[in-house]
Amino acid sequence: MSARPEPYGVAAEFETPDDLVNAARAARERGYRRLEAYTPYPIRELDDVLPMTNYLPMVVLAAGAVGGFGAFYLQFGIAALVYPLNIGGRPLNSWPQWIPIIFELTVLFAACAAFFGMLFFAGFPAVYHPLFRIPSFRRVSDNGFFLCIEARDPRFDAVETPRFLRSLAATSVWEVDDE
Amino acid sequence: MRVDELQRRTARPPEPGAHTTIVAPGTTFHSVTAQITDIVLSRSVPDPWFWTFCVALIAVLMLLIGVTVLISTGIGIFGTNIPVAWAFPITNFVWWIGIGHAGTLISAILLLLNQPWRNSINRFAEAMTIFAVACAGLFPLLHLGRPWVAYWIFPYPNTMTVQPQFRSPLVWDVFAVSTYFTVSLLFWYLGMVPDFASIRDRSKTGIEHAIYGILALGWRGASRHWRWHRSASTLLAGLATPLVLSVHTVVSFDFTIAILPGWHSTIFPPYFVAGAIYSGFAMVLVLAIPVRRWYHLENLLTIRHLENCGKLMLATGLVLAYTYVIEPFTSWYSGDKFEMFVVHNRATGPYAWAFWSVMVLNVAFPQLLWFKRFRTDTRILFLLSIDVLVGMWLERYMIIVSALHRDWMPSSWANFVATGWDNAILYGSGGLFVLLFLLFLRFCPMISASEVRELLPFSRPGGGSVK
Repeated sequence: MSARPEPYGVAAEFETPDDLVNAARAARERGYRRLEAYTPYPIRELDDVLPMTNYLPMVVLAAGAVGGFGAFYLQFGIAALVYPLNIGGRPLNSWPQWIPIIFELTVLFAACAAFFGMLFFAGFPAVYHPLFRIPSFRRVSDNGFFLCIEARDPRFDAVETPRFLRSLAATSVWEVDDE
Repeated sequence: MRVDELQRRTARPPEPGAHTTIVAPGTTFHSVTAQITDIVLSRSVPDPWFWTFCVALIAVLMLLIGVTVLISTGIGIFGTNIPVAWAFPITNFVWWIGIGHAGTLISAILLLLNQPWRNSINRFAEAMTIFAVACAGLFPLLHLGRPWVAYWIFPYPNTMTVQPQFRSPLVWDVFAVSTYFTVSLLFWYLGMVPDFASIRDRSKTGIEHAIYGILALGWRGASRHWRWHRSASTLLAGLATPLVLSVHTVVSFDFTIAILPGWHSTIFPPYFVAGAIYSGFAMVLVLAIPVRRWYHLENLLTIRHLENCGKLMLATGLVLAYTYVIEPFTSWYSGDKFEMFVVHNRATGPYAWAFWSVMVLNVAFPQLLWFKRFRTDTRILFLLSIDVLVGMWLERYMIIVSALHRDWMPSSWANFVATGWDNAILYGSGGLFVLLFLLFLRFCPMISASEVRELLPFSRPGGGSVK
């Protein structure tokens, strides 16, 4: 048989959202940085405990700008350069009439950026994950509150970390292997 | 045990000022998950679902026959003529797309306004939007007469060296409706991802696990996932809010940019948007009232949700009634004899029946919603919603037909009479909408379980619920 695989991390389950938030805070105070909480619904208190930089608004702004300028250029290019038509003597670049499509394409590009940007940043689609090996992890989409300290954390220790999590009111603690 | 503990806590008497009526007492994280996912994972459907499905299927077959005959024969099978060149197809288009707007209003605008009561109705209101826009998109295509060259409206390099006319609101409409459909679809799917994960985690067979696993994209409920999800949802809501107003505005431009008396009016954009939201809330109620009974969801879709929809219907109905008053006033004040003729002809001409039906259905009957007794009686609400849906369809019919059938030149006057095919395709599109909605109820999480969990009193550390 092959050697024991690399550990992914240590996961613990908690009974209530309070226990989870307290445990996450304690782990941060211990100096752990690569940790993640898994919950059945968003818990805003975790935002302060597990900080994260949100690039999505900037990406959406940029995509919206591309959509808006692109829409202007599309209409200007076709109506004034490629396929000029004299409609009742209006100027070829009758820009107020480009506004509806500029608006629509701005929204379309920005919305696609919001959706696909979220997939990209969250690492989706990823139908497999080491944590799915924990049988009770399926409660995470129901009523389970989990905390995982990952093995890539500099302070991770195969002996000390599980012991630390057990000390934090966890109902169960698992060592999860990677692959 | 976890569930008992939570149940014991929920059984506590509600604290003053707590949002106790959004979700019924005794609901736990697990009971929400089980209630919503079991509908999808169960092998059986409620009897009314089955019979409605059969009726909808027959209507869809009628639609397919109508579309086949239409494509093989041409739009001569409709009552559409010159001057009434728009008639049923565009009436249906404007009506369907308007119905979609309440879904976006509930999911986007009420999200930005932080109205937690929307959490249990937003999902199926969004589904309603998608299916209504899909039905709407059918009609301009069919009305083209040659639907197989519909792609000519898009700007693309082609050997004909012909390009679309960007000064035309009909081209704006294509961009507006396709953007609206795409954004609504992304928003709807994004919201469902965590619930697909709930279904994945409770699935009993491999095939269900695989399908819902793919749909869930690997959702693990990590706090990072939730934050990206919330950020994307808020951004999409912020984008969808002006979008929904722009879509019906662009639809109304199809009318106002024509110089036809009765259409050429600056009040049309707000007039159309108010009417759209009005009919949309009516459709939300028409769908919600039976669904909560079929699936026993009275604890999640409480009477308060229905009452709030009724209030919003009343408010948008009053805006609409105001425009009904202002429109003839503007015509009279303009001193333009053609404009004044349209107003007079609407109330006394060959389509006076439509005008007076609109006044009764859209203005008179909905005033019952002022009374709490009627707003909280599901049967009355259901009947009033049907009333508004019919009234709003007739309003669009009145706007289109009564303005077109008498234009500037008496020599071109002609009346419009609907044919059987007109009706077959209208009712067939209704069947398509119902069919898609029933399939959604069967295979997708119809209520957002994660958002309902947030409403539970013990969902926040310290035992407080979401404000």
